Amino acid sequence: MPTLLEEFVGVRVGGSPYLRLHSVTRIIVPFLLSLNVLFAKDLLSVAALCSLSFAVLLLSGVPLRVVRGYLALIASVTIFIALAFMLFTKVPGRVLWELQLLRVQAERGVWEWSIVVTDASLLRTLYFSLRILSMIFIATLFIATVGDRDMLWGLRRLGLPAGITVGASLFFRGIGFFLSDFAVVKEAMEARGVDFERTSLAKRFMLYVNALIPLLSLLVTRSFEISTALETRGISPGTRLSGSYHSTPLSRGDYLVLAAMCLVTLAFAGWFMCG
Amino acid sequence: MHVTEKAKARKRVTWAHIVTFVLATAISYVLAVVSSLIFPVLGAPGVSALYVAAAIYVPLGIWMGMWGALAGYISCFFLGLWPSGYTPIQSFIWSWADFIEALAPAAVFRLFKVDPDFSVKRGWAAKAFPPLIALGSIILLLGVVVQVLWGATLGEPFTTIYVYSVYTGLALALIGVLLGLMVGHRKTWAAHIAGIILASLLSGIWGAGTLTLWNLPPPLPAELFWPAFTGWVAGDLIVLSVLSTALLVALTPVFKRTGLYVEGWWA
Repeated sequence: MPTLLEEFVGVRVGGSPYLRLHSVTRIIVPFLLSLNVLFAKDLLSVAALCSLSFAVLLLSGVPLRVVRGYLALIASVTIFIALAFMLFTKVPGRVLWELQLLRVQAERGVWEWSIVVTDASLLRTLYFSLRILSMIFIATLFIATVGDRDMLWGLRRLGLPAGITVGASLFFRGIGFFLSDFAVVKEAMEARGVDFERTSLAKRFMLYVNALIPLLSLLVTRSFEISTALETRGISPGTRLSGSYHSTPLSRGDYLVLAAMCLVTLAFAGWFMCG
Repeated sequence: MHVTEKAKARKRVTWAHIVTFVLATAISYVLAVVSSLIFPVLGAPGVSALYVAAAIYVPLGIWMGMWGALAGYISCFFLGLWPSGYTPIQSFIWSWADFIEALAPAAVFRLFKVDPDFSVKRGWAAKAFPPLIALGSIILLLGVVVQVLWGATLGEPFTTIYVYSVYTGLALALIGVLLGLMVGHRKTWAAHIAGIILASLLSGIWGAGTLTLWNLPPPLPAELFWPAFTGWVAGDLIVLSVLSTALLVALTPVFKRTGLYVEGWWA
């Protein structure tokens, strides 16, 4: 069964013991890991969470090239966080570097704008960056090991109404729909002579914006196809669908993994309370 | 039976509402991630100076009421988690900004009982008013920010900048409003313009405020309120006046024809 990552970018995760776990386990593990982000309040705890998330990601068999693709994203987000703590505010601490950008002599004083790098601002930047890195690892673990059918069956087993189970599953499927629809619209524009490569960034942006109208039209059409299919099957949003068709029981491995993750969450919560 | 009579007869939440809302949420999330990475507001992860996602869920609020507001909330919640890296609680509180952003225009249309008719009678006015309103409001906003941050305490030259910005911004925005009223159905376009300004301001206050001042704990330093607020409001004004206007003109008849248009809040 294709995972969300496979549907989005075509990357298939190789077989690993983690992938053989029950879909409920594969949904709960990233959920518990992301819950730990709440408890990571200092640099040490966030570093521990980041290492743990990365270790689980490696154990799940996700190829490292997937994570490598996020490096540019992590770098850009880190730069913005650094700017937040160095360009717009002066975090109290030992000043390591200072550069005055602007100085205005006003009627009742002087206004100065400087980049101030302190040891505390660097630590805060590192803390935020590690937290974002953890969230990226956890999100990657989730999309690389869970498919939309896993979501559907997992939520159905919890006895949730069809409106929620189908909706949650469709959300992830919808991202895939959007990306494929966008490719179709882009090709149609290129067939009409639009050259995305040779246009300026601003013009290219406007071209993409123009694509929003056909994309939303396609959304309406798709929405009707899906909703008609659901209605013809006699399923209303409030229907509670049976989970018994895919009710394979949790294995001993599932219980072990879930127990370990609960213990880790409790440990992080304890660290948060006591620290 | 006439199409509008059919739509009036149906007052139940159907799969079409749920599925359209979910697919719109997915699109909004993708566009939110792309916007916050390509056009970031310096120092504030997740805040974009050109938040294209708003062009999806704000018109959806006008067409489908609370479904648009929910699409805004959920896409922003996921954006807060990934790639912005805020905690689930911080993101839960912050995301109400996008809920408010879609709710404000939806409320204007519903409370004043305006039946959206975005047909264009004067094309030149439709092209001219969005940049005028966006530019005028941004200049006005920058003037106010300069006065609040520096003019009030330091005096000249900041007070002069403030005065000129306010006059120029107000003049441009007022011309934009007048042109907007000339585009077509006056009630619709007046509600749309009021919705754009309300949505940008209210969501900017909540969004920038919960990132820097009021959260558990605020993820960004308090000094970042004004840069985040200015970038947020300016970005929203541009996106809502230019992009969402185009979408409303093109797709309102589609939503009305297909029965997806919601007269009340949910159905």
